[in-house]
Amino acid sequence: MTQQVFAWLDERLDLSGLRAFVADKTVPKHRHSVWYYMGGITLFLVGVQVATGILLLLYYRPSAGEAYESVQFIVSQVQFGWLIRNLHSWSANLLILMAFVHLFSTFFLRAYRKPRELTWITGVLLLFIMMGFGFSGYLLPWNELAFFATKVGTGIAGAVPLVGDFLVRFLRGGDDVTGATLTRFYGIHVAILPLITTVLLAMHLLFIQRQGMSVPPSVEKREKAGEKIPQEPFFPNYVLHDVMWWYVALAVLAALSLFLPWELGKKADAFASVPAGIRPEWYFLAMFQTLKLIPSHVLGFEGEMLGVLGFSAAAGLLLVMPFLDRHAADGRPSKVITAAGILAVIYLVVFTIYGYLAA
Amino acid sequence: MATWLRNLIGPAHAGRYVLAGAALVLAVSAPAAAQPAQASGCETCHQDHPLPALSAPARAFGQTDVHRERGFTCVDCHGGNPNETDKVRAKAPATGFKGKPSGQAVIAVCTRCHSDATLMRKYAPKQRVDQGAEYATSVHGQQLAKGDTKVATCISCHGAHGVRLVSDAKSPVYPVNVAATCTQCHADPEHMKGYKLPDGSPLPTDQRAKYEKSVHYAAMTARNDLSAPTCNDCHGNHGAAPPGVGAVTNVCGTCHGVFATKFALSTHSQIFDKGCVECHSNHEIVKPTDALLGTGQSSLCVTCHSDGDNGFKAAATMRAEIEKLKAAIDRSHALVATAENAGMAMDEQTLALREAGNHLTLARTEMHAFEPKAVTTVLEAGLGITAKVDAEGQAALDEVSFRKTGLAVSLGVILLVVVALALKIRSLKTGD
Repeated sequence: MTQQVFAWLDERLDLSGLRAFVADKTVPKHRHSVWYYMGGITLFLVGVQVATGILLLLYYRPSAGEAYESVQFIVSQVQFGWLIRNLHSWSANLLILMAFVHLFSTFFLRAYRKPRELTWITGVLLLFIMMGFGFSGYLLPWNELAFFATKVGTGIAGAVPLVGDFLVRFLRGGDDVTGATLTRFYGIHVAILPLITTVLLAMHLLFIQRQGMSVPPSVEKREKAGEKIPQEPFFPNYVLHDVMWWYVALAVLAALSLFLPWELGKKADAFASVPAGIRPEWYFLAMFQTLKLIPSHVLGFEGEMLGVLGFSAAAGLLLVMPFLDRHAADGRPSKVITAAGILAVIYLVVFTIYGYLAA
Repeated sequence: MATWLRNLIGPAHAGRYVLAGAALVLAVSAPAAAQPAQASGCETCHQDHPLPALSAPARAFGQTDVHRERGFTCVDCHGGNPNETDKVRAKAPATGFKGKPSGQAVIAVCTRCHSDATLMRKYAPKQRVDQGAEYATSVHGQQLAKGDTKVATCISCHGAHGVRLVSDAKSPVYPVNVAATCTQCHADPEHMKGYKLPDGSPLPTDQRAKYEKSVHYAAMTARNDLSAPTCNDCHGNHGAAPPGVGAVTNVCGTCHGVFATKFALSTHSQIFDKGCVECHSNHEIVKPTDALLGTGQSSLCVTCHSDGDNGFKAAATMRAEIEKLKAAIDRSHALVATAENAGMAMDEQTLALREAGNHLTLARTEMHAFEPKAVTTVLEAGLGITAKVDAEGQAALDEVSFRKTGLAVSLGVILLVVVALALKIRSLKTGD
């Protein structure tokens, strides 16, 4: 029966070619191979987000008057609603964590070097999009903490020179964070960002399939010296490895969802006083803490503006990294860029912890 | 301005107000036309007078004074001619000079304006003009009429010079300052010597000390609740007098209306001479507790009731029922907290427990009718709420247990799959 179905499809779609491609595809195997799975875990978590997000959409109501109550209804009344909401919240955080791990492992293994510049660029853009998902999704339960954090977060956009005021109004859908902001963020979260993600993710995966897995420069050097680098079949070996890691991620997610359920807090009230401990999600905390530490004026310029410009410049540099580290393709990666990467990791870790302790 | 006022009021007009009130308060702002008075000739000499008794009033009036701010000057109360530079001619009888008013003269001076509705309308249209009439009914006013000059007149409470609005926090009659103002005299044993209560006993001077232990004083000072009662809220201000034994319930009922209504329905209202005071005291009203009810050692009921009588049984029943609901609420709170700590959403149950708490409060109110049946009815409704919360709390804990079991099973299955995958991967490596 299965063979009959396959034959029917094969006749129309030429599945034999695809099967041959998968059967012949191999993946290099070396001591850094474990980092390859970080991308796979990130992809799995994206899948969890899509699945749980669609289920949440069935009950969520995106208005200032109903959003909080609808989430409350989901976690208290809907069968397994608590699990879906907690999976969505925890998976979002693990997804960004794994995306960062994937980014830095790719960075230090110089996987971005020629000819994989476009894979890197689509990956960095995907990370930014994931952070955009986090920022827009944080407001959707319409609770007090998210409301004021969004007020602060969107306000920072006002520091961008020339277009700051426009950006703030664009993000908020008005002068202040209101129900209009919630509706706007909802639209961004469930339509605009998923559309961009689909395109970028498709490109990212297509590039990987097209160009195959990168090997670290040290392994490549050995290969050029005539050493044969072991390969393993993509299917089933590599796929089974990936699936095993996905199961581990699923177990972690399930345990976190049960033992550390995501709090809903109090409903947002624009007239309430700002609660203590306002802070963004952890992945924005290092930036937030840095902006807090920059003096209000530096050499005649607004400190916040300089901070925002600095982060924008860092994001731009990250995006064009393959073109800055041009000799990496020749097996001579820049030591300055390695040092900058290490400093960036230290900075992110230290300032995130500092941000938590300061709050 | 002064001439205009004298023409308007005139000495004959002033004579109509023999016993008049104290309030010098202008509660609303003066018309735009009213301008602060310029320093008069009186102040020119008095402000630098070597005798403090003569210079202090002029200086106080020259600073913050509600009358001065509205254009009144020294002559409006004291008479005299401020334009005359010679002291003798300035105070000549023809100038209407009155000197320093005291006793009834103070009342007459103040009420000349403050009992004149036509005049007061121009400065403070909403302000009452019956202070003089009220004062005449007060113990102060009655004693003054008998010739007792030790009693308080308008200036004793409001001051004579440097008079401030009641709404001014520095005014001696601002709510938080009233107790201190009254007890300038009432806490002074020497001053109060000779004054007696209706039963002939000496008038006590410990009212302030007791009041400062009360729940009312705590509300006024610790919570800054200016609506909390102070001396004048129970005794009146211009018509200050003890409420009288029959009127205590009415006085307390001005704020505690429901309690007063329930008490009025009770048998005790026919028996208790002093109404609320019988159980709650007067000046030293501490926060009531459930221990006051019942048959225990701290109970007030056993003061009159003894084992076996109906009142004793009623007190025991009401207390026992109240304790039953309290215990049920505590139990439910603990259950809800356990479920919340386990990650369950228990907002509705927390709200329901607040409603159960309201029933407890209602029962404590209902208790003032001293009818156990009515109290029990209210408490049973509260117990119904706690029973429902308990059921929901238990269901939430069962759900937590179900989730944990589900997670354990899921993790077990996942672990098996991971192990199976690991074994399969190993077998692929070894080429088996």
